[in-house]
Amino acid sequence: MSRSYILHRGALPGAAAGAVGGLALGAAMHQMGMLLTVASLIRSASVEAGFAVIVFIAVILGAGFGMLVCRQRLETGEMLFWGLTYGALWWFLGPLTLAPLLQQGGAAWTIGSAQASFSSLLGLLWYGAVTALAYAAIGPRVSRERARVTAGTFVGGMLAGLAGAWLLGGLVGAQARWLGDARLGHLSPHPMGPLLPEIGILAGGAFALLYPRLRDGTGPTLIRGTAFGFFCWIVGALTVLPEIEGMGLAWSLDAARGRFPLLPAFLLFGAVVAVLYRWLTAAAALLFLDNIEARDEEGVGTRGLRAVGRGALGGLIGGLVFTIIMVRIGVLPIIGQIVGASSPWSGFIVHLVIANIIGATFGLLFLGRSVDIGSAVGWGVSYGFFWWILGPLTLLPILLGTAPRWTADVAGALIPSLVGHLAYGAALGVTFYLLEARHNPWWISHSEADSIRVERRREQVLTSAPALWALVIVVALTLPVVLTCGMPPAPSGYSMSSRGTGYGRDGPDTRLQLPGGPSTAYGSAGGTTSCGQGAPGSGAPHQP
Amino acid sequence: MNAAAGYSIRRDLRNGAIAGLVAAVVPVLSLAIHGGTSMPISEGGAWPLALAAAQLLLGAVLGAAYGALFSGQPDSSAAGLSTGLLYGLLWWILGPLTLVPLARGRIPGWSLEEAAAAFPSLIAYLLYGAALGGAFDLVTRAAARGHPDVPPAPSPAGGPHIVILGGGFGGVSAAQRLERLLARDHTARITLISQSNYLLFTPMLAEVAASGLEPQHISAPVRAALERTEFLRADVEKIDTAAQVIWLGASGPADPIHYDQLILALGSIPNFHGLPGLEACAFTLKSLDDATRLRSHVIGLLERADVEPDPAERRRQLTFVVAGGGFAGTEMIAELRDLVHSVRRFYRRVRSDDLRFVLVHAGARILPELNPALAAYAQRKLEVRGIEFVLNARIAAARPDAVVLTQGEELPARTIVWTAGNQPHPLLRGLPVEKNGGGAVIVDRTLRVPGASNVWAVGDCAQVPDAYREGGVCPPTAQHAIREGTVAADNVVAELHGNPLRSFRFRTIGVLVALGHRTAVAEFRGVKFSGVLAWFMWRTVYLAKLPGLEKKVRVALDWTLDLFFPRDIAVAAAGPILVDGRRGTEHTGAHAAERSSR
Repeated sequence: MSRSYILHRGALPGAAAGAVGGLALGAAMHQMGMLLTVASLIRSASVEAGFAVIVFIAVILGAGFGMLVCRQRLETGEMLFWGLTYGALWWFLGPLTLAPLLQQGGAAWTIGSAQASFSSLLGLLWYGAVTALAYAAIGPRVSRERARVTAGTFVGGMLAGLAGAWLLGGLVGAQARWLGDARLGHLSPHPMGPLLPEIGILAGGAFALLYPRLRDGTGPTLIRGTAFGFFCWIVGALTVLPEIEGMGLAWSLDAARGRFPLLPAFLLFGAVVAVLYRWLTAAAALLFLDNIEARDEEGVGTRGLRAVGRGALGGLIGGLVFTIIMVRIGVLPIIGQIVGASSPWSGFIVHLVIANIIGATFGLLFLGRSVDIGSAVGWGVSYGFFWWILGPLTLLPILLGTAPRWTADVAGALIPSLVGHLAYGAALGVTFYLLEARHNPWWISHSEADSIRVERRREQVLTSAPALWALVIVVALTLPVVLTCGMPPAPSGYSMSSRGTGYGRDGPDTRLQLPGGPSTAYGSAGGTTSCGQGAPGSGAPHQP
Repeated sequence: MNAAAGYSIRRDLRNGAIAGLVAAVVPVLSLAIHGGTSMPISEGGAWPLALAAAQLLLGAVLGAAYGALFSGQPDSSAAGLSTGLLYGLLWWILGPLTLVPLARGRIPGWSLEEAAAAFPSLIAYLLYGAALGGAFDLVTRAAARGHPDVPPAPSPAGGPHIVILGGGFGGVSAAQRLERLLARDHTARITLISQSNYLLFTPMLAEVAASGLEPQHISAPVRAALERTEFLRADVEKIDTAAQVIWLGASGPADPIHYDQLILALGSIPNFHGLPGLEACAFTLKSLDDATRLRSHVIGLLERADVEPDPAERRRQLTFVVAGGGFAGTEMIAELRDLVHSVRRFYRRVRSDDLRFVLVHAGARILPELNPALAAYAQRKLEVRGIEFVLNARIAAARPDAVVLTQGEELPARTIVWTAGNQPHPLLRGLPVEKNGGGAVIVDRTLRVPGASNVWAVGDCAQVPDAYREGGVCPPTAQHAIREGTVAADNVVAELHGNPLRSFRFRTIGVLVALGHRTAVAEFRGVKFSGVLAWFMWRTVYLAKLPGLEKKVRVALDWTLDLFFPRDIAVAAAGPILVDGRRGTEHTGAHAAERSSR
């Protein structure tokens, strides 16, 4: 690809899009009163100067964005996730590295700095999303494959959104009842409460606008929807809803912590909206289109059953990897409580069965979607993260007879489980890919049909799939840590004090002690969660 | 693009290591700025330069691993950056959160505190990963400059061409093994030539003839079973082992096909030993066509018998003779009996007294390959069900209205099924290699055909020495053919790579014989089973062995439905096939074609 192409189709439209993103970011920072801080970079005390600096930096970053993504498939929906990932990357590179390096001569790679810069993370995500959408609108038109938004797809999106909103209402209602938090009250308790239909219709319609033609199967769509749910959390829970409430942007660390319970709800909401939309559009295509070429894939009955077997085997191996962590944190007896047993061995069996079932669903959902180890790990880790939200944060407490509790401290207590789910997903994805690639590996094309299939798979990487994987793992590893550290311990009788993962019916008999004793427990005995550097038991390297 | 230039692990490792060195600038800069490190080499007191060198080395090693694992990314900086970021964060979990505590003698807890304490290294790993992915993309693109950005052409010339003749158990298992062994060698070509485009699961053929299974359900399309192998449905006219070429008949390409390695898996055809009338009058059981025609014939005879006024003729129509008391013959007579008895109630004028089922066998007992006790059980069981056994007798001739035994006795019957002899494919007669008395190609222990270079033979068309019995030969069974195909493929690849060949060593795992109506006998390495348990084992084992998941499901459904509904008596043909003593040319042609495919 020539330099001229990168300049004219990447850098220049990217710079223009960056300017749009800069305006959006500048407006947000103005509302938060942060422009003076930015102005201090050029030793000025003027808001206008701060705004100009923001736009200037935004234009440069936008040019970089354009150069980076000009080879990708330039569709609005695909660009959105590239923008979010780009924004997240610049949070690590900018406020945590380059800015302190220039100002203080050293990077600020501590948890405290990350917490202090949390609003910058949201700002950069906001900037990345706006820049990406602007780039999709004004970017190069030659290679753009623009799918038409029909009334049918739009209605499909809104229907999916309404259904997702019903789920969202139920989930948030349960949270609000448990937390007794009035700020969540307007979304609950009735499933179709005052704002829920609007949220569902807006989100579903937006998803349909972003993806008038979903090429992915259900599995990648599920991950896409989860990431879309994260975007909805930022736009809805942290930006628009607080504005409606007259509270201004909820981009501060404390505000985001307060609205953390809405994050898993929005992630599940996004996943449900995306999957329902995918199924509705697929059903419509099945009923109203006669596109034989689009149905050249083999049915679920042939390769699907084999995929279930391969997925189950992958799930078994992933489950064994996960078992190491489960044994370490002593959670197996709690898993056993799902079937009314309390011995670790019962928990181990239940855990393996669940791992098998989830692995089998992975096989069905991600059949033929792994082009190499990279995408195998990407989809696997993303699916593992999704199941962390759906499993230990949501279904496990329900199965144990309690309501899901999605506060930041609970998420922090479940970080070992998160690591386990990510490891499980990675092992599952890689095993499934290796089993799938035993015959006819993707890099060899033996016939024209195979060549087409190989090209189609490789096309996947040119979509926003890699951005999705990166975004999911950044969100998974960063948000719980950054939002949880320094918080007061969880409510009495819950995770921190139980020294376990926090589940179990009331009563001390269901609480577990970590094998390592209190010093390795999730929470401190004091007033806040201990996240200081050099925490006991930590083998991690430290910054000076 | 890596695929453009072919798969090379060495090149990917090298490119990855270079990218890793470039990306390692992140932890090294961190070292320079802070005097510490954020990558997992951070023991205090080390000389800073040594620490920096260690960081670079670690960066290169992780980069090389990235190159090996993530080499399939297309030209895309954004994709490279994202997957690199993913890779970096996974190493953060594996490194600072897992391996470093272990190296320091602590059990990792992956807790919030540990994650928070390792947060600086999270940023280092994240930025290192992103830089690594981006750099790897640039390095790969620079290295591949000049290579066209297209997938490799299918089967490029220059590689070895392996041809397999025959689409039975031996041929298909050889092709599947070759696909696996040569998965990463895109220069090699594999071609399978067969007259039928499906792999017939012969153990269930008798059930098809008895209307218990649908014909297509026991035949797996070869094209579906083989993803890479080129398939040609054609007759083979001639094999020239000196020039290493094969000529195909009119149904195939006109040009001869050159081979570098040839695997003969042509199977066998029925051998009537020149007995008069048999070829014209007898049904065989080697193909789907044989089975469906036999079924149509039997049901057609029942239709005729139902309106036949002459009692003698009716008895003749309702007498079914099977020649050969081996596995195929025994299963066939049992299934025929089941078919006729299960549908007899539809034919109100057909009395059970008129029905006669006769098994003619040259030996003193049926199932000579089986343990005598089990064979006796089988005979007893079938006798109770009304099957007659004519032992120590041979067929001398066959007419449309009778079967003549060597003793001179005549059995008035309009149905004779021949399972009493097979011979290797006639194409082998023209090969200038050593053959046994039956016409099978004699191979050595490695399945190579002596006297012909680069030719191997498996299955019914080969005489394979038995490694466990000095001077013995392997029986022509499916379980042997499948393993022979695998070993032949192994040896073909070993030959191509100059590696030592392996000998074929296989001992029969067991035998299973279905006796109809939920009864069977089985023997596994000396352990005997009979009755319902053996019948259940028969169904389980053969269902598991049936190629193709879809076919398994279909057969399982057939069997399940068979438990609740009567067998189907609908036939396309208007009447019995052999009433006038001659089969149509269509049948004969198809019959011959199927025979030669085996």
